[in-house]
Amino acid sequence: MKGDSPKKIFKMGLWEDNPVLVQIIGICSALAVTNLMLNSLIMGVGLIFVTALSSFTVSILRNYTPKHIRMMVQVLIIAAYVIIVDIFLKAYMPEMSKALGPYVGLIITNCIIMGRAEAYAQKNPPIPSFLDGVASGLGYTLVLLVIAFIRELLGFGTIFGIQVLGEWWTPWTIMIMPPAAFFILAVVIWITKTIQEKEKDNKKGQVANL
Amino acid sequence: MKKSFSFPIIFMVVITAFFTFILAFLNYSTADKIAFNQELELNKKLLYIFDIESLSEEPEDIHQAFMDNIGSISFEGEDLYVYYGDNEQILGYAVPINGSGLWGSIEGYVGVSADYSKILGLEFISHSETPGLGGRISEDWYKEQFRGIDLTKTTDGNYIIYKPLAGGNVDAIAGATLTSKSVSKLLNEDLEEFMKKGVNK
Repeated sequence: MKGDSPKKIFKMGLWEDNPVLVQIIGICSALAVTNLMLNSLIMGVGLIFVTALSSFTVSILRNYTPKHIRMMVQVLIIAAYVIIVDIFLKAYMPEMSKALGPYVGLIITNCIIMGRAEAYAQKNPPIPSFLDGVASGLGYTLVLLVIAFIRELLGFGTIFGIQVLGEWWTPWTIMIMPPAAFFILAVVIWITKTIQEKEKDNKKGQVANL
Repeated sequence: MKKSFSFPIIFMVVITAFFTFILAFLNYSTADKIAFNQELELNKKLLYIFDIESLSEEPEDIHQAFMDNIGSISFEGEDLYVYYGDNEQILGYAVPINGSGLWGSIEGYVGVSADYSKILGLEFISHSETPGLGGRISEDWYKEQFRGIDLTKTTDGNYIIYKPLAGGNVDAIAGATLTSKSVSKLLNEDLEEFMKKGVNK
């Protein structure tokens, strides 16, 4: 059994089947950590790591795992990788560990990881599953960074903590509060959907012309 | 795959044991490193409270600066960190503070000068406030405001008052009113308690 091509996997994860924009999962953390770009980036990297490796492991074990206990096995694998990330950060990057605080543990509950394990890794070979995890994680990270960029820029006048807007800028406090995350996420989804609809129409048009 | 009763159980036990073993091994092999990081972190924070510069950011220099300037004395059955100047003279105390924040407990130290007249500095050891909102209490601009606050003028125990209230001395964090309030409350309470008892009063 051969898996999908890497190009297709990445196209699905980043755009056509983007976990946040199209599947609308992983929203809780997308709303929570996006008030600073650095938080979003670290959260994203953590998620890429955990999703890729847990999909990989789930896929290796997929032919031996009894079907009715597969979810238990998936959660166990995901939890193990998250704890590994946590220990690693504490030991070698204490500053990062402090900045992320409780969010590292919360990676376990991110729907994307289990979603990919169930939807993809359970049915596909290890290498494509690994890539699929990376792609989904990247898709999630990019959306988070876009939202965080808007929120941090308007809310603090900074990008990655570096002041870009001058003294004249009055920070929009609403941007760093939860409501702004809802607005911006909704607007980003709206724009994506519009573009994707157009793409679909174009494709249909081409087929019709042929 | 044939349905069997015992296979899923054995499978689960084996895989759990496998991952537990990996985690236990990682935990064991990094325990020293993590403990060292935590001690270094505490050293750094206490140096920050008393505004002591270490030669560099290297762990050895930080540890050396800590050993040179800070010691501990026994106070009410617990260790109290004190700032020794030259000639073993006490310059300040690191008063432990703790209380509840918005999401969980906030712990830290506040430096009080040896004559109880002003705050030397403030640092948090742990908190679980929202990153980017309440979590900004651990940013420098917020903590720096506490340096040099006069403790002698107040009589009713309200040492920390947010601007623009009358007598205000500190800016609260925009968007994190509840966390800001928690910090001033726990600071005021713990400072008042320490000021009443005092070390040598």
